[in-house]
Amino acid sequence: MVSQKITVKNASGLHARPASELAKVCSQCKSDIAIVVGEKRINPKSILILMSAAIRCGTEILVECTGDSEKEDLEAVINAIDGGLGE
Amino acid sequence: MLAINVERTASKGIAIGKAFLVERPQLKKVFDIIPDQEIATQIKRYEEAVHSAEKELSGLVAANAIFGAHLEMVKDIALYEGVITKIKDEKKCAEAALSATAAEFVFIFESMDDEYMRERAADIKDVSHRLMCILQGVKSNPFEGITEDVILIAQDLTPSDTVSMDLTHIKGFITQEGGITSHVSILAKGLGLPALVGVEGILGKVKQNDVVIMDAKEGTIILYPEDSTIQQYQNKIEEQRRQQEELAKLKTLPAITKDGRTVELCANVGGIKDIKKALEYGMDGVGLFRSEFLYMDNNHFPTEEEQFAIYKEAAQLCNGELTIRTLDIGGDKALSYYEFETEENPFLGWRAIRISLELKEVFKAQLRAILRASAFGEVRIMFPMIISVEELYDAKEVLEECKKELDREGISYNSEVEVGMMIETPASIILIEDFAREVDFFSIGTNDLTQYLLAVDRGNKKISHMYNSFHPAVLRSIKRVIDAGHQNSVKVGMCGEFAGDERAVKLLLGLGLDEFSMSASVLLNTKDIIRSTYYEEAKELADKACCKQTIAQVYNILDIHR
Repeated sequence: MVSQKITVKNASGLHARPASELAKVCSQCKSDIAIVVGEKRINPKSILILMSAAIRCGTEILVECTGDSEKEDLEAVINAIDGGLGE
Repeated sequence: MLAINVERTASKGIAIGKAFLVERPQLKKVFDIIPDQEIATQIKRYEEAVHSAEKELSGLVAANAIFGAHLEMVKDIALYEGVITKIKDEKKCAEAALSATAAEFVFIFESMDDEYMRERAADIKDVSHRLMCILQGVKSNPFEGITEDVILIAQDLTPSDTVSMDLTHIKGFITQEGGITSHVSILAKGLGLPALVGVEGILGKVKQNDVVIMDAKEGTIILYPEDSTIQQYQNKIEEQRRQQEELAKLKTLPAITKDGRTVELCANVGGIKDIKKALEYGMDGVGLFRSEFLYMDNNHFPTEEEQFAIYKEAAQLCNGELTIRTLDIGGDKALSYYEFETEENPFLGWRAIRISLELKEVFKAQLRAILRASAFGEVRIMFPMIISVEELYDAKEVLEECKKELDREGISYNSEVEVGMMIETPASIILIEDFAREVDFFSIGTNDLTQYLLAVDRGNKKISHMYNSFHPAVLRSIKRVIDAGHQNSVKVGMCGEFAGDERAVKLLLGLGLDEFSMSASVLLNTKDIIRSTYYEEAKELADKACCKQTIAQVYNILDIHR
C-alpha cells in the first residue's frame, strides 16, 4: 500500500463537480483506493459517498492505494486533486 | 375512416402523425423476502436494470446536463454495493433492496447543512424511480421512445410534462381534458403546433401508432384515414406553410395601423428558447416572461445566480422590453421539490404573489436576480395576482430592500426599473384608479380575469362554454383598465390569450391597448390585422361593442360567427 497526504484546495470543498471528477479519476484506477478524513475512511470511487462526506476547502486528507498499479494510481489521484479537479 | 368533430380548438394548424398515447406508470410496492436460490436472479435483475438505465440516461445527457449527474449516480459503486448487500444478506428482492438503499442515501443528503447537497436528495429519488420503473417493466418517462412524427394523445398534460418531452417529433396534441387556456393549449400555441382539448373518449377510440389526422382549424380529428384523405391534408399543410411564408414578410415591419397608430407586439415566453423563436417572428419585446418555468423545470428553488444568468441572457437577447413576471405558482402549477398543502380551491388559494410575500427569501432571490439583469437591458418587473394596494406596497417594499442590499454590495442595476402589475382579479379592476397611481404599467391577464370575473373554472368541461372573454363584463373591465391607465400615464398591455385572438384584435386596438403580448406563433397574423385596420374605425367599433349587453350582440358587432 502507498499513501500520501494532500490538502483540498477547491473553494467550496469536494462539491458536486470536483467530487464527480475525483470519482471519475478514482474509478479508472485498478487499485483499491481509500480516502481518510479525520476518523472516516471512505471509498472515493463513489460520488454519493464522496459528496456525503462533505469534505471542505482546506481539509487535509490521506489518499491510500493498494494494488498492482498503486504507485501510478496514487500519483494520478494526487495530481487530479492538486490540479483542482477541473475547477 | 372515422371523423370526430371537436368544438373547441386550442391552437390552430393541421398535422398528420402516428398516435402516441401517453401512459402513466403505475408502480407496485414490493417487499418480498426471497429464498436463497433466488439471490443470484435478483442480483442479475438489478444489474440488468442498471445497464438499461445507463443506456436511457446516456441518450438524454445531450438534452439536459442534469442527466449526466444521474448517469454517474446510477453507475455509483456505493449504490450498487448497498443494493447487492441487501439482496445477499437481508434476502430482499431487487426492488426492496433498491428502495431501502436509496432511502439511506436520501436520508444522508437531506440531513446535510449545505442547501445544494440537500437538493441532491431529489436526484437520488429520480434515479431510484427510474431503476424501479425498469425493474417493474414500466416506462419512467411516458414521453420516451418517440422517434418518428407523432400526435400526442393524453388524458391531460401538466406543466412538468413539458420538461420531460422531446418536442422534435411532436406534431400536435389531443387531450381528453383541459380547456382552451389550459397548459397544453398555451404550450402548443407557443410552439405553433395544433392542439385540440377536451376531446371526450378519444383514448378509447385510437390505438398506439394509428395514423391520425388533426385539423385544429376546422376542429376535426380523422382516424383510419384513406390514402386520398392523407394526400388532401398534406396539400392543406403545404398551403398552410405558404401562408406562413407570406406572413413572414411582415416580420421587420412595424405594427402600425393604416392611419398611423403604432402599438407594441410582444411575445409571451417561458424561457430563452421561446425568446429566440419569438425573435424569428419579429417581436418588439417580451410582454410576459413566465418565470415559473425556471422553478418548475428544476429540482430546487433556483438560486439568485441561476436566475440571474437566465434573465441576463434574456435581457441581452431582447432588443426591446423584457417584462419578467415574478413567480406565479400554485393554482394548477406545482413544484416537485416543494410540498403544497392540498387546497379545496387552488385558484382561490395560496398562489402567485401570496406565496412570494410569505417565502420572502425565495422572493428576494428572484428580485435581486431581476434587478441585476436590469443592468443589461430594458427589464421590467411585474407582480401577479394582486388584490390589494397593501400587497403591492409589501411587494414594492421587498423590492426596495433588495435595491438597498445591492447598493451596499456595490452591484449595479437600473435604479429606474419599471414596476407593474397583472390585472387579473376583480378587486384590481375595482381599485384600478388607486393602482394606476402606484405603478408604471398594467398588464391585463385575461385568462384568470375572465375566470374570476365570471366565476367560471376554465378547466371544468361542463361549464367551460361559459368561459368567454367577449362577455360584456370582461370587455367593460378591459376598457376601464385602459382608460384609468391612460389618465395616469400608465402604459396598458395585455398578456392573456385574448390579446392573440384574431377576433379580438380590432376591438382591443380600438379600446386603446398599447401593447399586445401573445404566443410568438400568432404575432405575424396579429400584425397583419393591425396593419390593415384604421384606428379611427376600430375606436368606433370598440365603443359600440362596449355598450352591448349580451355576448351575441358583441359577436354581431364584431362580425364573429362562433
